[in-house]
Amino acid sequence: MTISNEVSNDAPILDVRNVVMHYRTEKGDVSAIENVSFSLKSGESFGLVGESGCGKTSMAMALLQLQAENATFKGGEIVLNGEDMLKMNPAEVRSHRWSDISMVFQGAMNAWNPVHRVGAQIKEAMDLHIRPQLSHTESRERIASLFEMVGLDPEMMDRYPHEFSGGMRQRAIIAMALSCDPQIIIADEPTTALDVIVQDQILTELKKIQHDLGMSIIYISHDIAVIAEVTDRMGVMYAGKMVETGPTIEVFHNPKHPYAFLLLSSTPSITGPRRKLAPLEGEPPNLLDPPPGCRFHPRCPFVTDQCRTEEPPLAEIGGGHRVACWNWESVPPLSEGLRK
Amino acid sequence: MSGYHANAFTKGSPLGRYVIKRFVQMVVLFLVFFALSWIALQAIPGNSIEQQLRLNPNLPPEAITQALARRGLDKPPLEQFWLYTKAFFTGDLGVSWSRYPQPVSKLIAERLPRTVMLFSVALLFQYLIGFQAGKYLAWRRNKRGEIAITIAGVSLFTVFYPWFGLMMILLFAVKLGWVPTNGFIVEATWRGAPVSANHVMVIMFFSLLAVTAFIGLTSWASSRLDQPNRRRLVKIGAWVVGLGGFWLFWATNQYLVYAKDVAVHLVLPVSVLTMVGFAGVMLITRTSMLETMKEDFVTTARAKGLSEAMVRDRHAARTALLPVSTSLVLAVATVIDGGIITESIFGWPGMGQLLLASVVSEDIPVALAAFSFTGILALLGHFAADILYGVLDPRIRVTSQG
Ligand SMILES: Nc1ncnc2c1ncn2[C@@H]1O[C@H](COP(=O)(O)OP(=O)(O)OP(=O)(O)O)[C@@H](O)[C@H]1O
Ligand SMILES: [Mg+2]
Repeated sequence: MTISNEVSNDAPILDVRNVVMHYRTEKGDVSAIENVSFSLKSGESFGLVGESGCGKTSMAMALLQLQAENATFKGGEIVLNGEDMLKMNPAEVRSHRWSDISMVFQGAMNAWNPVHRVGAQIKEAMDLHIRPQLSHTESRERIASLFEMVGLDPEMMDRYPHEFSGGMRQRAIIAMALSCDPQIIIADEPTTALDVIVQDQILTELKKIQHDLGMSIIYISHDIAVIAEVTDRMGVMYAGKMVETGPTIEVFHNPKHPYAFLLLSSTPSITGPRRKLAPLEGEPPNLLDPPPGCRFHPRCPFVTDQCRTEEPPLAEIGGGHRVACWNWESVPPLSEGLRK
Repeated sequence: MSGYHANAFTKGSPLGRYVIKRFVQMVVLFLVFFALSWIALQAIPGNSIEQQLRLNPNLPPEAITQALARRGLDKPPLEQFWLYTKAFFTGDLGVSWSRYPQPVSKLIAERLPRTVMLFSVALLFQYLIGFQAGKYLAWRRNKRGEIAITIAGVSLFTVFYPWFGLMMILLFAVKLGWVPTNGFIVEATWRGAPVSANHVMVIMFFSLLAVTAFIGLTSWASSRLDQPNRRRLVKIGAWVVGLGGFWLFWATNQYLVYAKDVAVHLVLPVSVLTMVGFAGVMLITRTSMLETMKEDFVTTARAKGLSEAMVRDRHAARTALLPVSTSLVLAVATVIDGGIITESIFGWPGMGQLLLASVVSEDIPVALAAFSFTGILALLGHFAADILYGVLDPRIRVTSQG
């Protein structure tokens, strides 16, 4: 296994710039990704967090150019190693899939084709991307070592997916995601369908593998605690927009966007100081007709008139911490909570 | 090379168990069918049989006594059944009453291969064409041509089949004269022929089977090769060698004239059966494909960077094949009733016509044998389709343990 540990320059391997993607539906355009930017450096792990329906999966799929058929890009760039994926032809996109960016899908239970052996499905990707092509025996050896790495019995490679338990399937998916030595792995809610103990094991393993192999990882979850545990930097999405990004420690302990603040104060912390639970009231907006100005303003306790009309930019507040809020300075430290 | 499939056929493998279970089921089903057809015969009172026999102008008196003794009409029912069973399974099917003294077994041996030939070729075409058409239809969804093909498919699928068959005869045989109107051979061609028509047909059947099996197995094995370009080479090679070998075999064959005669007679019934049957397969495939195309594993396949053709064939279509192969089980069963209609329309002297003729002329030994053998045929077809399903779907092998 070659390790891509080129922590050379600080140029990001993936740079997402102002991406706008809408879904066309009968009822109108769903504004699923609105002007989202973030970047990923080699060896870094980036977390994407947000409520259900805020556009996390849409963003992940866009990175592989696997968006639904009714999706249209209205602008932006997805720059992978200096090349804009949105400008590539289908064959070029295919050559980057899995070899540069692989993915552990949300609900990966059905990610395996039931009629092919698991090993054969992994070999299929390796045959396509690894050059010079591995011989049959070499492929099997490689799959065996990948299986060992993710804690599976190598014998299992000759089995069919239905013979795997949920956790084993997910481990095998991770093995498959590693099979072509990608620079980036996207893990979209990789553990939500699993029970807590298996969740924990898989998280620990992912972290260890990422550390050992030095690849970058984009970790997607609605659970901010999970993101805090496994990532270096993180971004908080709300209704298709990136509202806060920065070093995970910084965002987790010192959230400055009201949404992130409320999200974190409604997360009971075991290790940190006791927090008064401030509930996040209301519903996320309908993306067919998002509110003008800041999309969070109908639910925001810090709302001002400016928020209702003007869209706040994602602005640097120091130390790589960026917030898209007009009134971020009014947001109190997390330990104080929200005074009612 | 054998790594991935080494344990699929070993002793006590799930597939092995599945096949054995299906085989036992088939045998039991046949025995039930066999007993039921005998019981149905019992519904005819003994003396009425005797009366019928005496009324039959084809039968000399000694044949009548022989026939009555064979059935052991003076013995208790269970013993009669035993006599009949023993005779059947030792190959003694008696003599025909309407074509005395032809043995029933000879009639069956003559008719059975013709029916097998007609329907296996038609089923092969139905499934090959229907599956490919359905696959592309689903894949090209919302593109031009989809609606036209779907409408054509639905019309063919729902058309009143005997009427359609007659119209096709009218057009292609009567009006255009491209093919014979009916029958199995032209008598004149075969006068003084060194072989029987059946013999030639059996050679045709097996040469066709050999080519299909060769191309199929080689292409399947080629997908296990390491280099993709070598895979394609082997696949193309399989087609060239298979079709070339087939051509060479017949071009140098002394029976070519006779084979041509049989083939020409096959064209119309096979085409009509294919047209009517492929539409059903196409529609099932299309529905099944549209379903599989939504599955997560198709997205996984795309995410891996597979080309659209690979995603379509290896993932979407391969999995969409499962419900289609289930439909094959049903298609095989319809050969029984469809056989009678088809063979009557096209004057194809097979099992269906034999069954019909024997029932009309009250030739009970022939009717009973024809019925049993049609049953065996349907059950064997069913068994083959079941095994195919087991091979295609690894999950079914596990449920078969229970
Ligand atoms: N193909 C589509 N057509 C129309 N709308 C879509 C489509 N796919 C997703 N959406 C909508 O886009 C929004 C973002 O969906 P997405 O799946 O990206 O959210 P998510 O953050 O991954 O949510 P979850 O946590 O539930 O996975 C949702 O409002 C969803 O209803
Ligand atoms: Mg999602």
